Amino acid sequence: MSNDFKPNIVGFLCNWCTYAAADLAGQSKFDIKPSINVIRVMCSSRIDPNLVLGAFLWGADGVLVAGCHPGDCHYEKGNFYTRRRFTQMKKVLETLNLDPDRLQLAWVSASEGQRYRDVINAFTDKIKEMGPNPLKPNPAV
Amino acid sequence: MAKTNNKTDAKSMKGTVISTKEGLSKAITDFLKQAFEKNCFDTILIPVKVPANDSYAWVLLKDPALLDDANPLAPIMPVQGGKALSSILKHGVTDSSIAAVIRPCEMKAAIELYKLKQVKLDNITLITMDCPGVLPLKDWFKNPDEGEKKFKDIIKKWDDKDVRPLCQICDKFSVPLNEENATYPDLHFGVLGCSDGTGFVIPGSSKGEEILDTVGLTATKEVDKWESKVNEVTTQKRKKRSEAHKALNKEVGGSKNLPVAFALCINCHNCMRVCPVCYCQHCYFDSEALNKPPEVHLMRAAQKGSLLFKPDCLLFQVGRMSHMTLSCVSCGTCEDACPMSIKVGQVFSMVADQSQDAFNYQAGRSKDVPHPLRVFEDEQELDQVVTMCKDILETGEHK
Repeated sequence: MSNDFKPNIVGFLCNWCTYAAADLAGQSKFDIKPSINVIRVMCSSRIDPNLVLGAFLWGADGVLVAGCHPGDCHYEKGNFYTRRRFTQMKKVLETLNLDPDRLQLAWVSASEGQRYRDVINAFTDKIKEMGPNPLKPNPAV
Repeated sequence: MAKTNNKTDAKSMKGTVISTKEGLSKAITDFLKQAFEKNCFDTILIPVKVPANDSYAWVLLKDPALLDDANPLAPIMPVQGGKALSSILKHGVTDSSIAAVIRPCEMKAAIELYKLKQVKLDNITLITMDCPGVLPLKDWFKNPDEGEKKFKDIIKKWDDKDVRPLCQICDKFSVPLNEENATYPDLHFGVLGCSDGTGFVIPGSSKGEEILDTVGLTATKEVDKWESKVNEVTTQKRKKRSEAHKALNKEVGGSKNLPVAFALCINCHNCMRVCPVCYCQHCYFDSEALNKPPEVHLMRAAQKGSLLFKPDCLLFQVGRMSHMTLSCVSCGTCEDACPMSIKVGQVFSMVADQSQDAFNYQAGRSKDVPHPLRVFEDEQELDQVVTMCKDILETGEHK
């Protein structure tokens, strides 16, 4: 089954670091698995938990939140807030046994095209192992 | 930030013995009358029985004679006291001092709202009491008279069989003993562990001590008996709470069970509106953001095979959990307000305990400990926070 399963990952990428890294990875013609749908946000701290949960409940197999490394935020401390908010979201999913591993946080700076490739490929592999999102076919969700 | 509540060392707590022969409620109102006469405060916020005799409402009392109708230990909680307090004091303080006679969970909500800048507590005297819980609203409205009797029994025996499920597993029914940085009420009425017909009034701040001095009830007695009983009941309740949460997790956890648990939700948003700490003026879930054009619904229906309407009930519940469980004080008002009797309060309290644990935070415990989403501690973050955010390249087996 896992062979024909193509993960559908929603990636919220910060404009200043990870989105630029994605750009760099593309320009460098790295081999990246075609599983991610990128949504650009100005800062990773801008991501409301509802956006992430909405992606899950609407059928995304995984959600990646990515921004600048801690300390390198374009807005100085945005990603520290991200980290706390992310922990809170993850804790909610964990408590409700809703596959918290489908939610991933990564720090990728603008110059780390290779790292971007590695993160996407590793996360895709992980989601592939986990299989499709069980909430996807549920008509009540 | 004006500090109105001084912290008192839990071990040096002293109290004054008062008579509770006619019940704790009467003892509190009698005390309030005395304090009122001595001008300790100008106004009292307290639950008062409505003229129809079938419910209780928050009333700001200026006339001490009206205290006869008041009941500090109302058998029900239709409106959370923290929310009532916030609706009075959201936009500033007055010179007149207000005494708020509220339950411990209502005080926690008030403190949480204070940190979220939704209430100003400068001129407030917080008065709480050992709380046996409240009756579920639905049971109460079947027969208010019987409910009144039943509740008298509950106070007498301190029996939690008939109170709300969340009150049964509440481990914060009194003041926080043995806790660092905790904010105490200015005055607390304790009856646990006291011999029949007596109780303690215990000051938790210098303001409370002043009031007791003015009334002529200077606190000098040791309150060991009360303290040890509170600790004992707390331990019991904690055990009960973790067991209840474990059972609940089995019942509602997982991608199969969770949609079933919330399947009855009619999207009325009552739980959100009565929630004391859900303070946003414009809620995302009331906005147009979730009203999608027909193509989107058709697309989702095609994807799933069928789509339930209204959609996104689960998004509302889980979304609200991610928004405010860090401030959730487990008061259970949401569960009371749910017309479909969903265990929403219990699920929220379960999630709240877990997420507050991750930040070593307890909602409403202290005025001085900031809300976890408003601070960060640089690279030396809390262990749990960092573990949750671990790097996929270090953990995943990417070739």
